[in-house]
Order: sequence, then structure tokens, then C-alpha cells
Amino acid sequence: MSGPVPLLHVLILSVALFAIGLTGALLRRNAIHIFLSIELMMNAANLALIGYALSWGTPEGQIVVFFVIAIAAAEASVGLAIFVALFRHTKTIDVNQVNLLKW
Amino acid sequence: MTGSAMVFYAAAVLTVVFAAVMVVHRNPVKSTLALVVSFFGLAICYVLLSAPLIAVLQVIVYAGAILVLFLFVLMLLNLREEPAPPGSSRPIQTVLSGVAIVSFAGLMLGLIRASGDPAAGADPQPLTDIARVSRLLFSDYLLPFEAVSVLLLAALVGAFVLVYSEKRA
Amino acid sequence: MSLLDFGIIAARVLLPALILPGIVIPLVWVERRGAGLIQDRPGPNRVGPMGLLQSPVDVLKLFMKEPVMPAAADSFLYTLAPAIAVFAALATFAVIPYGATLEVGGRTIPLIGADLNIGILYIFAMTSLSVYAIVLAGWSANNKYSLMGGIRSSAQIISYELAMTTAAAGVILAASSFRLNDVVAMQEGTWLSFVPRWNVFPQFLGFLIFFVAAFAETNRIPFDLPEAESELVAGYHTEYSAMRFGSYFLAEYVNIMVASALAVTLYLGGWTLPGFHPQGILGTLISIAIFAGKTAFLVWVFVWVRWTLPRFRYDQLMSLGWKVLLPLALVNIFLQAALALGTGVYR
Repeated sequence: MSGPVPLLHVLILSVALFAIGLTGALLRRNAIHIFLSIELMMNAANLALIGYALSWGTPEGQIVVFFVIAIAAAEASVGLAIFVALFRHTKTIDVNQVNLLKW
Repeated sequence: MTGSAMVFYAAAVLTVVFAAVMVVHRNPVKSTLALVVSFFGLAICYVLLSAPLIAVLQVIVYAGAILVLFLFVLMLLNLREEPAPPGSSRPIQTVLSGVAIVSFAGLMLGLIRASGDPAAGADPQPLTDIARVSRLLFSDYLLPFEAVSVLLLAALVGAFVLVYSEKRA
Repeated sequence: MSLLDFGIIAARVLLPALILPGIVIPLVWVERRGAGLIQDRPGPNRVGPMGLLQSPVDVLKLFMKEPVMPAAADSFLYTLAPAIAVFAALATFAVIPYGATLEVGGRTIPLIGADLNIGILYIFAMTSLSVYAIVLAGWSANNKYSLMGGIRSSAQIISYELAMTTAAAGVILAASSFRLNDVVAMQEGTWLSFVPRWNVFPQFLGFLIFFVAAFAETNRIPFDLPEAESELVAGYHTEYSAMRFGSYFLAEYVNIMVASALAVTLYLGGWTLPGFHPQGILGTLISIAIFAGKTAFLVWVFVWVRWTLPRFRYDQLMSLGWKVLLPLALVNIFLQAALALGTGVYR
């Protein structure tokens, strides 16, 4: 089975999104931005999986994406809980200001 | 170029542009919204890549739950635009990260080019058939499925423990 | 594809989107007269015969007022939010079948915007978008009452969407399809030749949960906490005026109609009626009338409840959603699975 576009183009889009996400995760200091960037990177991976699933004609890729989405939900809930706890202690979510391992 | 290919490229451009907006925007609320739009573009791509179930799940879970949760936290913490703290520009780190990202993207693209298009599997059943995907999910992938549900429960309890404060209880 | 085909598709998709906002005008009149009926007073009766022209005049007023934006508001998001509200409300109707297939001049025209194989999931995806309209309205206006209303409302919608989806899972299980046309088709005919095969009979619990959750999703009394005027002025749309406020008003009523139409499709047999086999244009028109009649009844229940019940407290609302409706919805799924596997209730 083949999709509307060549697999290569899907993968290029995936790499572009992953690179943008990586840029955000490395360069931003706001914890929220880092977190959003990580979500974007996961979605870039999902896109590649779906592209391959279509190219090979097997649904396994889609099933892995299903699990990735579920795990992203779990990650988001714990991550945001950490931010709330962090903000209560330090009144900031700038990761550069958070440099103490012990309070 | 077919109509669906054009829609795919349009959605791809939308996705990339708003992903970039998400990274550069200073206001966390607007960043989150840019990511919502970006994920919408991705959902359109998923539909065109014959994964309608994943596309809808993407909208329901990401746009409808995860990113709303983000907005929720941003509003509760009342985080607005943050000006860059003075004397905090780090040219060396910025350049190094830039080099790392560009070389990463180059490496990935090179690998993709080298591997070439995989041979298309001869498969009569279309992937858009939701029953087919679900049947596989609830048979071969039942154990991971159950494991994920335990993980979600653990995340729920963990999130509760983290934000629970005895003062307010 | 010829121009005619294109026109037919455009009409299939656009007609409901144009008709629904049109129905809102008489619906507001029904609501206000209904309130009068229930509270033993006349209701609006000055403009036009029986006050029928009151709503059009109100709409005209909303259009002609000056939209005022708070100076501290985020102007882009403030303007965008009402548009999202109307879009999400209207887009939901696209996958609901509103009549029997029309056959004219050798063409078969299914009366549904888009017959998706993920129809029900599409509806839930669109409802989850309506959260943004409320959250953004609350945040962008830069007003504490708006923000409180927005936060309350998003928490409420997310909580009740869970119960709603889980209740609807019972129907999906029985129909073994996400396609709403299949859901309607499975409800044709009768059990024991006199009980209509409507899902509401084996799934009364699911219907009840779905309908209660629909009240919360549309922010109607008894769940209109986001705009509880005694605490929050007007909730998330405190700072909206003129037609921007009108957009939220419109979206609320369109949401009521869509929720009723969805409940009719999932539980009350959609456009079918036992012993009715639509033939020709007349049959199709009758099927549309059946669908409209059932939907109108549920919309009336919305009005009826609004003027009968008091408002819940916020903690009561949350505990009802999480501790009562959600567990019951899970019980309903088990029940339906047992029915589908163990008995011949579902074909």
C-alpha cells in the first residue's frame, strides 16, 4: 500500500519536527516550554511510526503510537504535578533557578 | 500531484510553522496554543496516512486533555510572559546546541536517504479498518495494553501525592 | 465529479450548519415562554403575536450593540474564543445522520454531512475543542471572575466528557461500529414485535448517564456552575458584549440541539420508527420529521429541567461526575458486554 506522498517526505517532516522539538528542549529555560518541546518530539516519532505502518501495510505501527499517546498522558500528569510542586516551593519554573537538590 | 498530497503538504507546513512558533514564543499560554494547532496539522497528516483512529485519538487526548491540562496549570500558576533575566544569554551553549541539532537532523536525513523506501508489503486489508487495528491491540498486544493501564494508575497516584498539601485538606 | 455532485455535497454539509443557528431564534422563544409556563407567568408576549418576534428583535439588538473589549485583554485570543465556540458547536453535527437516504433522479444522497467510520469519536474530538473556547475566554479577558469561570468550566467539561464517552461506549459495543449510520441501522425493527429496538431499553442506565452528562457538557442548569451569577457574575463570558456574547449564546443553544440529536441517534433510534419504511422523497421528508420530533422532545426536556431544578454546588458537581456517573458508566459497559455475548438482544 502506498500513501498520498512518498514515505521519504513523511520522514523528512518527522525529522524536521523532531529537530524543532530538540531545539526547544535544549534552548528554552521555561519548564513549560521544555515540556511542550518533548511532547513535540514524541509526536515526531509517532509520525514516523505511522508513515512506516502505511508503507509496510501493517497496523503494528499504529498500535505503538496508541501506547505512546497513553504514556504521554501519564507523563503529562506527573510532569505538571512536579511543576506545581516546584512552583509552590520556588515561585518559578525557570529550570536554571532550580539548582538545589535539597531544600 | 493529487489532492490529498496537496492537503498533506499544506498540513505539514502548518505543523512545522506552528511548532516553530511554539518554541520561540515567550508567552507560555500562546506557546501551548501554537502546539495545539501544530497537533491539528499532524492529525490531518494521520488521516491522510490512513490512520483515522490515531488522528482522532490525537485530537481527543492531546488537544482535549493533555494541552488543556497545561493551560489549566498555566492559569492556576498565573504564568504570563517572562522577560529574559538580564545577563543570562549563553552564546557558547546556544551555538553548541545549534551545531548538535543541525548535525542530528543531517545524520537522520542521511540515514533515511541511505535506507531508501522499504518494499511495500502486499496487504489487501486497508489500515483504515478500525476493527483490524483493535483486534490486534486486544490480542497480541494485550499485555502491553494492561501494563499501560497500570502505568496510568501509577501516574494518577503519583500526581496526587506530588500536589497534595496537608494544609488545605 | 460534476458540478451537481459538488453542489449536493455542499448542501449536505452546509444546510444543517445554516439551519441550526436559524432554529436557535425560535428556540430561545420556546425557552422563555416555557419558563413562563413553568413559573406561572406569561413570559415575553409584547413583540409580535404571542411574543414570537421577541427573539429576532433581541438578535438585532445584539448585532447593533458596540462590542467592548477590556483594555487589559489579549485582543487576539479574546476575539478568537467566541469563534471557536460556534465552530465546535456546528462542526459536531456533521456526522449525525438526520434522515433516510434520499433517492432522486438515479442519485442516492445519504442525509449526513460525512459518513465517517469514526463518527462517534469525531464528535467527542469536537466537543473536547469547545473547552478551548471557554478556557481562552476566561484567560484572555484578564478578569478574575472570567478566569474562575473558565477554570471551573474546563474542569467540569473534562470530567463529564469522561462519563459521557464511557456511557456511549455501551452503544458502540452493541453496534460494534463507530459509524453513526450503523448505530441507526441496528435500531430498526422491534423486539417481540412491539418494543422498538431502541438502545434506550437495554441501555437505560447508559442513556441516563449520557443525558445527565450532556447537561454538564452544555453548561446548563443544574450544572451551569461556570456562569453561576451569584458567585461569578457571568463566568467566562463576563467581559463579552454584543455579538461576541451572542456567539456564546448561539453556541450554547446549538450545543443543546446537537446533544439532543446525538442522544436521539445513539439511544432513541435516530430517524427510524418501527413499521416505517421510507420510500421516495415523501418518506425521506417523514424520516427527517421523525428525527426532528424526537430531538425537539429532548430539547424541551433541557428547557423543562432548567426551570425546575436548582443549581448544584461545585463539589457536589465534581463528586457526582467522578463518584457516581463514571462508576455507573463502567457498570453499564459490563452489562452491555454481558448482554451482547450472552443473549440475543443485539443482532
